[in-house]
Amino acid sequence: MLEIRELATAYGKIEALKGVSLGAKAGEVTCLLGPNGAGKTTLMMTLSGILRPKRGSITFEGEELVGKTPAEIVARGLALVPENRLVFPALSVRENLLAGAFRRRDRAGIRDDVEKMLDRFPRLRERIGQLAGTLSGGEQQMLAVARALMSRPKLLLMDEPSVGLAPLVVAEIFSIIRQLHAEGTSIFLVEQNAHMALKVAQHFYLMEQGRVSFSGTPGQLAEDDVVQRAYLGQRRAA
Amino acid sequence: MPAEQAIGLATDMATMSLLALSAFLLLVVGRISFGQQAYFGVGAYTSALASTAAQWPLVPALAAGCVAGALAALALGLPTLRLAGLQYAVATLAFAEMLRIALQGWHWQWTTDDGNLIGPNGLEGFRDIRWLLENDVSALEFLVLAAVVLAAVLFGLGLLARRRAGVALRMVGHDDTLAAASGLPVARLRLAAATVAGALAALGGGLYAFRTTYIEPALIDPMLGVHAVGYALIGGMGTVFGPLLGVMFDLGLLEATRVFAGWRMVVFGGLVALFLRWRPRGLLDETLVHRLAQNFVRSGRQSDRRPLEIAR
Amino acid sequence: MGIELLQRTLDGLLDGASYALVGLGLTLTFGTLRRLNLAYGATAMLGAYVGAWLHLRFGAPAWAVAMAVVAVAALAGLYVEWLCFAGTSDDTPPGAGAATSARGGGPVAGADAREVVALASSFAVWMQLEQLAVNLLPRHLNPFPSLASAGEWSIGALVLRPDRLVLALLAVALCLGLAEWLARSRRGLAWRAAADQRVAAHLAGIAVPQVQRAAFAAASALAGFAAFAVLAVDGQVTPMFGMWILTKGLVAALLGGLGSVRGVLGGGLLLGVVEAHAQGMFGAFGREFAGWALLVVVLLAPWRRPTRGFPRGFAHAG
Repeated sequence: MLEIRELATAYGKIEALKGVSLGAKAGEVTCLLGPNGAGKTTLMMTLSGILRPKRGSITFEGEELVGKTPAEIVARGLALVPENRLVFPALSVRENLLAGAFRRRDRAGIRDDVEKMLDRFPRLRERIGQLAGTLSGGEQQMLAVARALMSRPKLLLMDEPSVGLAPLVVAEIFSIIRQLHAEGTSIFLVEQNAHMALKVAQHFYLMEQGRVSFSGTPGQLAEDDVVQRAYLGQRRAA
Repeated sequence: MPAEQAIGLATDMATMSLLALSAFLLLVVGRISFGQQAYFGVGAYTSALASTAAQWPLVPALAAGCVAGALAALALGLPTLRLAGLQYAVATLAFAEMLRIALQGWHWQWTTDDGNLIGPNGLEGFRDIRWLLENDVSALEFLVLAAVVLAAVLFGLGLLARRRAGVALRMVGHDDTLAAASGLPVARLRLAAATVAGALAALGGGLYAFRTTYIEPALIDPMLGVHAVGYALIGGMGTVFGPLLGVMFDLGLLEATRVFAGWRMVVFGGLVALFLRWRPRGLLDETLVHRLAQNFVRSGRQSDRRPLEIAR
Repeated sequence: MGIELLQRTLDGLLDGASYALVGLGLTLTFGTLRRLNLAYGATAMLGAYVGAWLHLRFGAPAWAVAMAVVAVAALAGLYVEWLCFAGTSDDTPPGAGAATSARGGGPVAGADAREVVALASSFAVWMQLEQLAVNLLPRHLNPFPSLASAGEWSIGALVLRPDRLVLALLAVALCLGLAEWLARSRRGLAWRAAADQRVAAHLAGIAVPQVQRAAFAAASALAGFAAFAVLAVDGQVTPMFGMWILTKGLVAALLGGLGSVRGVLGGGLLLGVVEAHAQGMFGAFGREFAGWALLVVVLLAPWRRPTRGFPRGFAHAG
């Protein structure tokens, strides 16, 4: 479904992605692990069109995404739940949801989806008129996920959805991911919480210093080895 | 260009440079001021009064203007420097306008020994600041004085830039939260910079008053202040010579491109905007200055080896 | 004595409404971009001068002049946006890795950097546009098609000019109408979202650069309309007009909270009333002085916590 080839993105002279190649299959949860500074968020930002890569290609359902504006990419069916949530703090919960559906024109469908989101995330229903900036971290995360889902994406990108949240909330988030997967949504997940991520993913990649260093299924690598490399980077040969 | 005109232009460049340096100092500590023209006015009027009413000679009169400018900047700086960037910019403009309007209503005249009426006369301004004429100071001599003053100021600021105080000021400008966390007295540094900036602008104003012998409230309209900031921004934030470059760029262009006559601002404005698009820190920005300094140092040393290059 | 006070207040309210109208576009620009457009007055002035020129040279009627003023102002606004503001807003997401300022930031590094650059270049364009306008009509006083009313209305002991009343009502209608539109419509939501959190707006599928451009053009068109309305009541335009628009609009917008469309109405009215009473007490100088003094008082009010800038986006529009 998603095919990334030799993607390289730089901030000025600093190359954050040095030639990344990976893919995500339709209907699966694909997970990207890696330590801080590996370039995971840069990759997500490049995928959603906010950053421009220096070279490489991103093919989604056969179409090339590099060079398209973020709005066009959302229109093609990719939606990102960004790191740090990034809700619209001065807009209400309802308006945040409506914003997520901006590219859609079917008013009735949008209204139904808003209801569905509020069913799925009951805490948002309680706070429907509140300004998003006043919500707690966990609630904002729910809102960010809901907003991305409002565009009815074919592939949902999630950048570290569990970071900074209490364990109970983290469990909720992952159960939602499992739910979405069961309903058929394809998910591309970037995570630091390797333990939880490996439980939901069908395929995973490991990224270190701007490059993909491992690709496989959760069983292929002993879990503690993955955790080592995910959190601490490459283990030096003894 | 006839010599007299050239001398006049050069003197104007010197006085404007002082005003531009004044705006520059505040930019260094991270504040835009659209109100430096107020201190220009304070310096002009104070020096003029000192020279005519108190009969002080040139240098003491200029000094009086400086002190007045510094005090005014201190007084205004105390309440305003805690404001964030844009609010501060507007507040400085507001104060400058208030001063200009107040000057429009200030009438304080007296009769000189020759029987003439002299002194600030509201909208009519302040005429006959004739110290230079009465003491036979030629235009060229005055230019030399202005140049010496400017050189001294540049020297002083340049020295400051190298020492800890100068570095501290730049740190405040780059990131005041970080500077505060590093233990710098951010508010005091800003206030100090603002006070010196006030003195500089006042110095420029005093020189202007003596050169043109006539000053009026309309002199310190917002355009003057905004231009000062513009010069500092264009010339470059990397060195104290940046504002000078900005002044020469504008005033020089004015003379050099007589061809453009009534379209000077159209051309200049367009150039500046395009320029800022591609070089936001001005002509002599920090990177360039750093690189120039590096090359200068390297050419002084004979070593060609680059110890940090690792063979791949 | 009481009647005089009431009359002055009434006059102040009417003047204030035109300040609000003038400041509406400026606050809208700040609301969408979080940047101050210094060329705002100049774009309106260019439009006004072109209109006056058409009137003078070709005898164009008032409605044609109105259209010309708005159109030229909008076009000039697009030019300013293209040259000074497009691509200067920060698109890189917060915390997205190492060194993000590829070009070394602006003259004032850090969060204010690009704000300063846009300020500086909009100042440069202000100079440009103002000179263009003045070259078109070099004289100081230029006639403008006048829609001023001949007579006055009396309400009891108070005197009221109908043309100024119409202007005031227009101002109120536009301010409140724009606020409603921003709060209720789909497109208004997109504008508010783009102003509130730019990156999130991109991710929601909002075409942020287009939104920016549209808002800028609309703000400039509003400025042009305000210029026409004010000048039609005055009957003439001078080279001071650009500066007047900018300063009055800026103060009105600031008093009401930069970025707030409802606020600029309140701010303008407050400014008008304060000026009117200051004029009554201290004459013409007092009037001008009071306007600035009011601004200073509001900015320095001791109960305000020093904030890192103005309220973001249209936080108060709803």
